[in-house]
Amino acid sequence: MQKNVPTGKRPSKEGYLMFLTVLPFLILSFIFSYFPLSGWIFAFFDYRAPLKLSQCEFVGFKWFVALFANKTQLSQLWQVMKNTFAMSSLGILTSVIPMFFAIFLNEIRNKRFKAVVQTLTTIPNFISWVLVYSVAFSLFAESGLFNSLLQQYGLITAPIKFLDSDKHTYLSMLLWSQWKNVGWGAIMYLAAVAGIDQELYDAAKVDGAGRFALMRHITLPALLPTYFVLLMLSVANFLNNGMDQYFVFQNAFNKNHIQVLDLYVYNIGISGNSISIATAISMLKSLVSISLLCVVNFLSKKTRGEAIF
Amino acid sequence: MKKKVLSVLLSLSMVCAMLAGCGSSSQPGATDTPAADTQQTDNSAEAAAETETTGKYEKFITVDVFDQQANYQGIQSGWFGEIVKQKFNMELNIIAPNVAGGGDTLYQTRSAAGDLGDLIIMTCAGGKLQDLVTAGLVIDLTDYLPGHENLLKYQDALEYTSECMCKDAGIWAVPSEVSERSATTPLGGTQLNSGHYLRWDLYKELGYPEMNNWDDLLNIMKDMQELCPESDSGKKTYAFSLFADWDGDYMNAASYMAAYYGYGIIGYAMNKADNSEPSVSLLDDESTYMKGLEFFFKANQMGLLDPESTSQNYDTLASKYRDGAILYSTYPWLGQAAYNTQDHLDQGKGFEPASMSDNEFYDWGCYSKGNPNNAVMIGSKAEDPERLMDFIDWLYSPEGICLSTGQTSGSCGFEDLMWTMEDGRPVLTDFGLECYTTNDAQMPAEMGGGTFTDGISQLNYKTISDGEINPNTGFPYNFTLWDSYNEMNVPEVYADWQEKMGAKNPLEYFMDHDMVVVSPGSGYATPSEPTEISNMRAQVREIIKDYSWRAVFAADRAEYDQIVEEMKSIVNGLGYEEILAYDLQCAEEEKQARIAVTQ
Repeated sequence: MQKNVPTGKRPSKEGYLMFLTVLPFLILSFIFSYFPLSGWIFAFFDYRAPLKLSQCEFVGFKWFVALFANKTQLSQLWQVMKNTFAMSSLGILTSVIPMFFAIFLNEIRNKRFKAVVQTLTTIPNFISWVLVYSVAFSLFAESGLFNSLLQQYGLITAPIKFLDSDKHTYLSMLLWSQWKNVGWGAIMYLAAVAGIDQELYDAAKVDGAGRFALMRHITLPALLPTYFVLLMLSVANFLNNGMDQYFVFQNAFNKNHIQVLDLYVYNIGISGNSISIATAISMLKSLVSISLLCVVNFLSKKTRGEAIF
Repeated sequence: MKKKVLSVLLSLSMVCAMLAGCGSSSQPGATDTPAADTQQTDNSAEAAAETETTGKYEKFITVDVFDQQANYQGIQSGWFGEIVKQKFNMELNIIAPNVAGGGDTLYQTRSAAGDLGDLIIMTCAGGKLQDLVTAGLVIDLTDYLPGHENLLKYQDALEYTSECMCKDAGIWAVPSEVSERSATTPLGGTQLNSGHYLRWDLYKELGYPEMNNWDDLLNIMKDMQELCPESDSGKKTYAFSLFADWDGDYMNAASYMAAYYGYGIIGYAMNKADNSEPSVSLLDDESTYMKGLEFFFKANQMGLLDPESTSQNYDTLASKYRDGAILYSTYPWLGQAAYNTQDHLDQGKGFEPASMSDNEFYDWGCYSKGNPNNAVMIGSKAEDPERLMDFIDWLYSPEGICLSTGQTSGSCGFEDLMWTMEDGRPVLTDFGLECYTTNDAQMPAEMGGGTFTDGISQLNYKTISDGEINPNTGFPYNFTLWDSYNEMNVPEVYADWQEKMGAKNPLEYFMDHDMVVVSPGSGYATPSEPTEISNMRAQVREIIKDYSWRAVFAADRAEYDQIVEEMKSIVNGLGYEEILAYDLQCAEEEKQARIAVTQ
């Protein structure tokens, strides 16, 4: 086999050009993905906010040890991990929803209606969580729309606490994120659907397939590869289930179940004035993420024969 | 084709607009300016150039004030903003952690970035001053002090604060509430900082029921809530309403009760004001904090607690008080300040304090050495420290005191406009009275216009103790202490209160009945704590706050007990005992400081 890239000592002009083309992206990924890692150094110091690092004492692995110091500490971390895993798993379990949404949306014949539905479901993706929460607050707070309506019609006497409660926290968080993300998530699948060869459908129709049979036997199988790629990506992001959503929705009542790892790091580190220990936790998080990636990569290598590395 | 060209043009113009947007936001100063009150800034810059009194200060500057106590964020507007502009050719851009929320977050991020603000108003306690000095965020005021006679008057207090709070030599901060009186003299004024402020008109209607304990209070409030089920605007009334903005190491509302029994709180140690009792743990079964939790739990069970307590902030709560939707207030400056307007007083309605027989209120003694728990500092990145020093000096001058402390205490305001000297004693003018009793007294246009209330100093900073005497008049700055004010036609509610209680004002009543315990103004502030303790505290405080709120809103007694148990066991696992041991040590130091200052 002949190699495409010349292996001579002096790279060709084309090689330079290629390198220059990719350089901005290398720089960007260095700035945003590698440079921040220098912040890990805070985990090994006794850091306090206004001081410079050089003015702080070096403490080695003290904070890592402190994390596992006793049973309560562990159970706190365990609860946080449970929340993180639960919400991420729910996210992965429901990752089929955008696909089916796309399939059904595709079946709508009325172009105008289809466009309206797609626009309306995509818009929430562009609304920040802070605004989503303020909408949630106006609807579901004690003096919000729902409580006011219910009270006006005499259905309840005391307001129902939708937000200040720990009931079905996972579920309600899932519903909010679905509301925000389904339309956006479906775009990729809609693009994939558009790419399916029309002849397949025509052939199936000739064979007497109905609409559901078309979906079941042609659209769905055609979308599965896309689905699996997205699934892989979301598994790698298992621990990064974000914090803005949980940050805005958190309160004293639901914190036990809403506090995911990122939020925990924020609450302890930034609000709680313990940046060092928070850095230590997030370093552990990176470790877990890398191991997860390795596992997925290994599985992928075994089952599909393809791998990232 | 035409369509295509058009669309390309449109998208180009959109991109330009977006870029333009980026450009303007990166202009210096604009990034830090919160959205509020920008309309004021535009014309003030132009107007400043024309003002003639600003000869000394040629360049107009915007001063970022990091203010831990402020409840307002943005440019200081109204008459106070105007006078600052006229005198110093600058405007104050207040950065308020209280408004931003998230506890210490704003301090953390801004201080880590190396610039807290040009003017810094915050506590020196907890080693904060030392940290700021070590990190080089504040400047030494020693060289700026000469020539500032109002500050030189308190030079002792300035030196003492820096000496106690910081190892580095120099004068780093100007403490608040300085006083020329002795440490055991109560701070003064006419009110205590806490009390059972309730709707006196309703209390009267109920026949002034006697109150011996907190259960009596609950029953009275229940009757009161039934008696007055709707606010002015037709909303449902509640006896109690809380807010979470000021939660620090614990649920602030539950800790109110400590003040009713003469306890102050240092970390998680509760210290009796006059050292007469041993210090106790915040989470002790018998502590006033746990009693406070239980009290609000019971109140909630009886339907007396506003369900919005969990989510509302101070502003929302204050507006509820204004509307008459809340019937009880722990603080005079919340219930009375918001509700006792001329309108309400004319209708014979108002908040006044009832007495509970077993209370012993915590009151602060005068800080002869100043109060380091709130102090002014000048940031090291400040553009014009000399001017800022002049400004601080002005804040401590008789004129500055009259004008700047109006938010929480009754300082008298502009001479001639709001008060004048008559027969050798100060008297409020009609306009002055209007300013203090209504919310819509219009200030003259040359003073910046707007209402008096909207224009007050948003710094929320007390330069001097409440009862201090104005050297220019020989009378207190606080107009509510003037005989001339008390002789004026007293509103019906006040008169009724005075008649019923047999005293001129709440302070007098509680002093006469031996219900006040004074904590000598030692000027003690906690030192810097080891990071292990801070780390443990960071976790413990989250648990205590969350579980306290959950306990108050627990469905029933069993759930309440369970939550409290769980809270205690978790915090103990997270190192509560160690934190407490540290706090008790600080409490002991405070006791010693009190003894030292009274000797």
